[in-house]
Amino acid sequence: MNHNVTRRSFLSFAAAGAAVVSLAACGGNSAAGGSAAKAAYAAPAKDLSAELSYAIWDAAQKPAMQKIVTEFNKQYPNIKVTIDVTPSKGSAYWTKIQTQASSNTLPDVFWMNGPHIKLYAQNNQLMPLDGLVSGKAVDTANYPKALVDLYTVNGAFYGVPKDFDTSALFYNKALFKEAGVSEPTSNWTWDDVKSAGAKLSKFYQGKGVYGYAGDLTGGQTSYYNTMIEAGGTVISTDGKKSGYDSAGSIAGLQFWRDLIESGVSPSMQQLTDTASSDMFTSRKLAMTMDGSWTVGPAQKALGDDLGIASLPKGPKSNQSVIHGLANVIPANAKNPAAAQAFVAFLGTQDAAKVQAETGTVIPAFNGTQDAWVKSVPSVDLSVFLDLAKDASPYPASANTAAWNELENTLLPQAFAGTKPVADVAKDLASQMNAALAKES
Amino acid sequence: MKAQTLTPASKSGRAAQATGERRKGKSKSVGWWPWLFVVPTVAGIGVFYLWPIVQTFYYSFTKWGVFGGTKFIGLDNYVRMFADSTIPQSILNTLIYTVVVLLGIPIAVILASLIERPGLRFAALYRTLYFIPYITMPAAVGIVWRLIYNGDFGPINWFLGLFGIQGPYWTSTPGFALLAVATVGLWMSLGFNLIIISAGLREIPRELFEAAEMDGASRVRQFFSITVPLLTPSIFFVTIVTVISGFQLFDLLYVMMGKANLAMPQTQSLVYIFYNQAFLQNDKGYAAAIGILILVIIALLTAFQFRIQKRWVNYV
Amino acid sequence: MSESMLSTKSGVDSRRSGAAVTSPSQAGGKPSGPAGRDRKSRGAEGARRHGTKGGKQGSNVLAHCVLSIGGLAMISPLLYQIVMSLSTNAEVQSTPPTLWPGVVQWSNFADVFTSMNFGSQLWVTVAITVVRVIGQVLLCSMAGYAFARMQFRFKGPILAIVLSIIMVPSQLFLIPQYQIIQNLGWLNSIAGIVAPGIFSAFGLFLMRQFFMGLPDELEDAARLDGANPFQIFFRVMLPLAANGLWALVIITVLWSWNDLLWPLVVTSTANAAPLSVGLSNLQGEHANNYPILMAASLMAMAPILIMFLLMQKRVMAGIGRSGLK
Repeated sequence: MNHNVTRRSFLSFAAAGAAVVSLAACGGNSAAGGSAAKAAYAAPAKDLSAELSYAIWDAAQKPAMQKIVTEFNKQYPNIKVTIDVTPSKGSAYWTKIQTQASSNTLPDVFWMNGPHIKLYAQNNQLMPLDGLVSGKAVDTANYPKALVDLYTVNGAFYGVPKDFDTSALFYNKALFKEAGVSEPTSNWTWDDVKSAGAKLSKFYQGKGVYGYAGDLTGGQTSYYNTMIEAGGTVISTDGKKSGYDSAGSIAGLQFWRDLIESGVSPSMQQLTDTASSDMFTSRKLAMTMDGSWTVGPAQKALGDDLGIASLPKGPKSNQSVIHGLANVIPANAKNPAAAQAFVAFLGTQDAAKVQAETGTVIPAFNGTQDAWVKSVPSVDLSVFLDLAKDASPYPASANTAAWNELENTLLPQAFAGTKPVADVAKDLASQMNAALAKES
Repeated sequence: MKAQTLTPASKSGRAAQATGERRKGKSKSVGWWPWLFVVPTVAGIGVFYLWPIVQTFYYSFTKWGVFGGTKFIGLDNYVRMFADSTIPQSILNTLIYTVVVLLGIPIAVILASLIERPGLRFAALYRTLYFIPYITMPAAVGIVWRLIYNGDFGPINWFLGLFGIQGPYWTSTPGFALLAVATVGLWMSLGFNLIIISAGLREIPRELFEAAEMDGASRVRQFFSITVPLLTPSIFFVTIVTVISGFQLFDLLYVMMGKANLAMPQTQSLVYIFYNQAFLQNDKGYAAAIGILILVIIALLTAFQFRIQKRWVNYV
Repeated sequence: MSESMLSTKSGVDSRRSGAAVTSPSQAGGKPSGPAGRDRKSRGAEGARRHGTKGGKQGSNVLAHCVLSIGGLAMISPLLYQIVMSLSTNAEVQSTPPTLWPGVVQWSNFADVFTSMNFGSQLWVTVAITVVRVIGQVLLCSMAGYAFARMQFRFKGPILAIVLSIIMVPSQLFLIPQYQIIQNLGWLNSIAGIVAPGIFSAFGLFLMRQFFMGLPDELEDAARLDGANPFQIFFRVMLPLAANGLWALVIITVLWSWNDLLWPLVVTSTANAAPLSVGLSNLQGEHANNYPILMAASLMAMAPILIMFLLMQKRVMAGIGRSGLK
């Protein structure tokens, strides 16, 4: 749940907080870190004595984290790790982290996510962890490549992947059965999902039940995926140029417009009023594209009626955006040796197994995800893992928030049909390029 | 926040008024005594409020990078602002919002004149009912109103449905969204206006009504020929409050609209654009220029209101 | 004594400050002073002052109809909120709307305690409110007194500048204020949340208005007795301005309790945050769980609602008076 970086928190005043704090942060502590980490890391002596603070944002994961600390202490009994949960997830956590960054009081180890990594790395707030790799304490081959890429900024490796999430097709078996429509398979294409959606919407016409929709108030679980599936991009790999004006991207956006126009999906207004995930869990939506963190709540609401299939294949591929968290160390770490030892341990298979047992997140360490897959036996969760293999990295730049805001301002007009999709996409691309140009 | 900003803002109106009739000779104070009284507050206001305005003015001529570092760019932000089509649209939105909330004033006058009827029972209860919305937490009631307006399961559309009317998606349809937000603004400010106008009503000498009654004037006639004219100072006061708070519209938009809202361009206020640029898009130099525009507009509006008040406000 | 002073005050001040409205004391030709007491006390008694006029009782039926329907409409969102807070999420989203939950879900209120640090956030809210009220009452009444009744250089220009600040949207102050608080090292502290709010241009103005309406006589007498300005202020004038102080207290409590953006920016730990921030964080976390959101916001508003109901006469009088100036 916490991974939903595009979550609709309509009261995200905290964004303001983060922005204010980042302003105040400017000025101080630049280029502080770096030197320590370039050299290959060598595990410190087992009797190293230190105190570490570990900041996380998901209270539900605290038990797992605590268990990992206990395991870690079997190796380093004298390193005391205090876990600090900022109970409010997402933006409030970032307000806090940025406040601490501005006053040089960052926790010794903390969680990082995709939209923020470049902001922190390029602003010299993080310690490069290449030393851990060259010192063989961390092997980047153990994690999905897209995640490693996400946390590699300007050639330096900053965060050891912790977990990840991808999107897939969620459906309601009972609604399919009642309408006499055959259930989705993982071989479906866009046309399949469109025609099944049309049949469902038609069958349930007047009852407020729709065939297929996605959360269009953000791209991660909807249009980011279809844009890539149609051969487009959100942002160039160097993070300098918008991909919204490419033909593939426009086709990926048009997909959602077509669903709305044909009545398969609720209107843009309706999706703003009631989130698609809410409609799905309240049985008002037969199919939805959503993130892996939704499995828990959806299973709780729908029970055995919940079905999950891979993403329908678009003109080019069936691909999901992958996003995941990483553990990072601040540039001016008070105790770099102990912090690196802990982060290295967090990146091990043992630590990942502990996480997998909780069932809430997909651990990033390859091969340890089975426990998560087994956590909900009634559906085949392995589709999320299959999608992760070929997933596209979460689109981000140094000031991701600026063009996320542009997406939120402009795209609704395309989805609602008040302006042609292609026009909006081109407009968005040029405004986004202007925003990106300002980053440097 | 909106509801609270009502009162302070309003005060400026009275300020000028009171300064106008500056009291004669009170030169009883000597030496540094007055400063002892004044300096803590004035210094604090200077540091926390005046200085930020000066800074905003300075920043409006700069490009402010994401990670800080300001660069003087002259009038660029202002040039961009005057070319930005969302700015005039947002001013129009603000005007429409303000006009709708202003409709609450005649409503408040009518309700107050009913509540303040001599010997009316339950008058205190009525005052309480109408005043409660004013003291509620905007962040909290914003969510309630979101539900009330919900296009699928909100009570408003259910009610309209009883009459066979298909209600719109209130907070996400251009046009309706502004109306929906303004209705909440009216709801929150009605109690405040009512209390101010009630207090004004109680100042009207009863003898006037009695005389009118003896002359055979109907209640309606009394209302228009005595109540309303003698209430104009209170009406003026709440009008200024409403107009200024209208131009500070922000919280309700934030709580009720949500992100990626199709109706946002036709609903957002200037302050909202300021916030968006400063805190979401990290373009603080441009935001500062918008901030200066907000200051100028509010100053002009207030000056305008005081200029025309002589035409219609009866000071007896 | 103070009672009669109050009434004196209201009579005098409406004349002095060029009261917009003809006050009863003027119209009735009653001299201002202690004798006017019975007529001047406003607020809840005010309605009675119009006299207990007999006839036309019949037409009050219509008034009751309009007022009660309107009043019901005004509080219906809150009633709706109460119902929602006791329902299940499915009931909230059902059509037609649920008028009363099938099974009353008191557990929603219990869940609030596990979802947010309600206790500590309530404490923070109370603390910042108390500190802010005390600070503002003291500072604003002193400054307001000086601006109303003392002469000093640059008084006019300073007042004009201070008053112009009242109109500025608070969002404009956010970044510079944050930087100041950060430099002071007051992030995440009650001091940091309270500091800017203690200095209030509005409070200064409100108190100035009240002090301008007070009579000269007592001040003059005290001065003749050799009292210094501090003694005059605290012993003589401040007690006379009780009504104004109440108005200031009430309005400050409301702002402090409901203020969201500023505390959200200066606090980053859940324990240092007030209820308004806790509530908004809860909305970020449980965006879909309406009953818990409704229950939490009811709990956050409850103290202020209860306080209002207990003190409503003073609240109404205080707010009403602020408009009479």
